[in-house]
Amino acid sequence: MTTPSELVAAPSEALAQVALGAGRERRLHPWSWLFVLLEQLRQFALPLIALLFFGGRGSGQAWEWFGLVGVALLTGLAVVRYFTYRFRIEHGELVIRSGILHRNVRHIPLARIQNIALKRNVLHRLFGVAEVKLESAVGGISAEAQMRVLSLRDAHALEVLARSEHRGGAAAEPGDDVEPERGELLLQLPTLELIKLGMTSNRGLLVGAAGFGVFSQFDGAGFGRQLASWATSSLGYARDLHLGWDDWLLGGTLALVALVATLRALSVLLILLQFHGFQLHQLDRRLSVESGLLTRLRSHAPLRKIQHWTLHDGLLHRWFRRRSLRVETAVLQTASNSHSLTQPVPIAPPATIDALLGRWLPWLRWDELDWQPLHPRAWRRLSFWPALLTLIVTAGAAVRVGLPALALLVLLPLWLWRARLVAARAHWAVTDKALFWRSGWLDRKLSFAEIAKLQGLRLLQSPFDRRHGMASLVADTAGASPMGHRLELHYLPEAAARALYERLGAQLAHSTLRW
Amino acid sequence: MSPNPTVTDAPLPPHASPLPATSSPAWESLHPNASTAMRLFGASSLGGVYLVPAAMLLIAWDSLGWSGGVRVAAWAIGALLVLLAGWVAGGVRWSRTGFALDAAALRIRRGIFWRSETLVPRSRVQHTDLNRGPLDRRLGLATLKVYTAGTKLASVSLDGLPAERAAELRDALVAADDDAV
Repeated sequence: MTTPSELVAAPSEALAQVALGAGRERRLHPWSWLFVLLEQLRQFALPLIALLFFGGRGSGQAWEWFGLVGVALLTGLAVVRYFTYRFRIEHGELVIRSGILHRNVRHIPLARIQNIALKRNVLHRLFGVAEVKLESAVGGISAEAQMRVLSLRDAHALEVLARSEHRGGAAAEPGDDVEPERGELLLQLPTLELIKLGMTSNRGLLVGAAGFGVFSQFDGAGFGRQLASWATSSLGYARDLHLGWDDWLLGGTLALVALVATLRALSVLLILLQFHGFQLHQLDRRLSVESGLLTRLRSHAPLRKIQHWTLHDGLLHRWFRRRSLRVETAVLQTASNSHSLTQPVPIAPPATIDALLGRWLPWLRWDELDWQPLHPRAWRRLSFWPALLTLIVTAGAAVRVGLPALALLVLLPLWLWRARLVAARAHWAVTDKALFWRSGWLDRKLSFAEIAKLQGLRLLQSPFDRRHGMASLVADTAGASPMGHRLELHYLPEAAARALYERLGAQLAHSTLRW
Repeated sequence: MSPNPTVTDAPLPPHASPLPATSSPAWESLHPNASTAMRLFGASSLGGVYLVPAAMLLIAWDSLGWSGGVRVAAWAIGALLVLLAGWVAGGVRWSRTGFALDAAALRIRRGIFWRSETLVPRSRVQHTDLNRGPLDRRLGLATLKVYTAGTKLASVSLDGLPAERAAELRDALVAADDDAV
C-alpha cells in the first residue's frame, strides 16, 4: 500500500513528534531569506524592470545605485526576519515568536488550524522547501501564520501534528472542489420573476453611476462641455415655451421618472444576464446555486456554514408580493475556490421563503417570537440629525434667497413622522437559538443569526444614549459583509440592552463553536 | 443527532426571567505605569496637532496687531493648556479602561464619552498575540490581542496590561477550550 512517495508525503506522527515535538524551537529554513527577498522583489518587479531599461539614460547611474541599496535593505530585513522568527509546538499550540523591537508572541491552538496550505513551485522543489500557510477561522480571510519557507520535513511534520489534533473530524466533510451531484431542485426563477427582481434591484443605479464616471474620464473637459451645452440648450428650449411653474414641476417630475425608469431597465437587463436560468438545489444539508446567461456561475454552501440570514422586504417587494433572502457564509478562501453563496433566494413569494426557511431551520418559529420595541424616545434620536440638517440648510437658504426658503421647514414634520414610523417598526427578539433584529419602514430588513454562531458582543453608549438612558448592542458574526444588514441593535432601553448582553454572553459561553 | 448538526448547545441555563442572575464581573484596571504611557500618548498626540500649526498660524496671521513677544506667550500658554488637556485625557482614559476575565468570557470596557464594553467568549478565541514594544518593556507593560472568527471584532486588543497578567490572560484564554473545532 505505502509507496515511498507516500512515505515522504505523510510521515508518521512519531516522526513528526521527533521533528517538531516536545517544545523544540525551530527556525525557518536557512534559505528562507531568499524566498522572502524574491517575494518582495516580485512586488517591485515592474519598477525594477523599468529601472533596468530606463535607468541608464538621462539622469545617469544614480538610479541603479538606489536600486542596489533597496535590494540590500530588503535582504537585510529578510535575514533579520529569519533570525528572529522562531516557532515551536507546545501543549497542542503553535507558538511563534518574532520581532526585535516589537516582540510578538503568537499562540495558535493546533485544534483551531483548519487548513494548512503548502505551496511549492520549481524553486521551492529545487531547495527542498515549502511555503506554509496556516489558516484558522479568523476573519474568514487572513492566513494566521505564513511561513516562508520551511524545510519539507518541518512542513510535513506541522501538517501531521495539526491534522492529528483534529481527530479525523474535518476529514468527513466532502471536498469543495469535488463536483457534487445536484440533489433536489428547490427553486427556479422564470423570466417574469427575474424582471421583478430587476425592478427591485438597485444594480442599474450603481452601474449607471460607474458608467457615467468612466465615460466622463475619457474626455474630461469635452464631456463636461457636452453635458453643459446639452443642459443649457434643453433649458433654453424649455424657456422658449414660456412654461409656468406648474409646468416646470411636471417637466422635472417627468424627467426624474424617466431617469429612474431607465436605471431600473438597466437593472432588469443586468439581472437577466446574471440570474438567467437560476436554480437552487439541495443535496443533504448542502445548498448549491447556479445561474448566468453568458457565464454560468455555481456556488455552494453547506447549511451549517451559513452565519447570518437577512430577509429583505422593500417597497417594490411588497407591491410584487415578493421577498428576498440573503445569507452570509464563512468559507475559508484557499480551502475552496468556489464563489461564496450569498443569494439562495433572490426573489420569491413570502410563503415560499418561509417554507424553505422552515425546511432548513426547523427551530425557526416566526409566530413564537416575542418582539421587543425600542426605547420609547428612539424616534427623537432618529429625527435629530435630519431635523438639524434641515434647519441649517433652511437658515443658509434664508440668508441667500430670503423668506421663501422657510418653505423648507415643511420637511420638519415629515422627518418627525418618518422617525416615528421607523422607530415603531424596529424590533428585536431573542430565543434560546437565535437573535433577531428588524428595521426599516419603507425598505424593511430582518436579520437573524444563531447564537452559537455569534463571535463576540459589544455594548455601546454615546453621550446622547446616556442622556436618554439608551444603549446599542452589536452582535458580531463571521464573514459579515459591511454592506449587509448587521445585527446592530440601536436605541434599546439601557436596561434591556444590558440584560440582552448578559443573556447572550451566558448563552455563548454554553455553546461550542463548530465550523 | 440534533436536527441542526451545526449547533451543539449544551443545556442552557433556564432563562425564565430576561435578566439572568449574574454577579457583576470583577473588573481589573491596567498597570499603573500604563497611566503614564497613556498620558504621554495623549499629550503628544494633542500636542502634535497643536504645536506646529498654531505656531504657523501666529506667524502668518497678524491682523490682531500683536507684537512678537505676545505671540510667543500666547502660543506657549496655548501649548501648556493643550498638553495639560492631553495629559488629563490620558489619565481619564486609563481610569475608564478595565478588563475582566471570568469562566465565560473576557470583557473589556473603555471610552470616556463614547463608552463601550466588549465581550469575547472564551470559546470563540481563535488565537492570541502578545506584543511588547521598547516602551512597553521599559514600563513592564504588554499588549494582548485576541482574535476571533468575527468580522468587526476579528481582533480585540488590550494595551497597558502588566506583562505577567497579560501572559496569564493569554494562557487562560487559549487553554480554556479544548474541545472546540
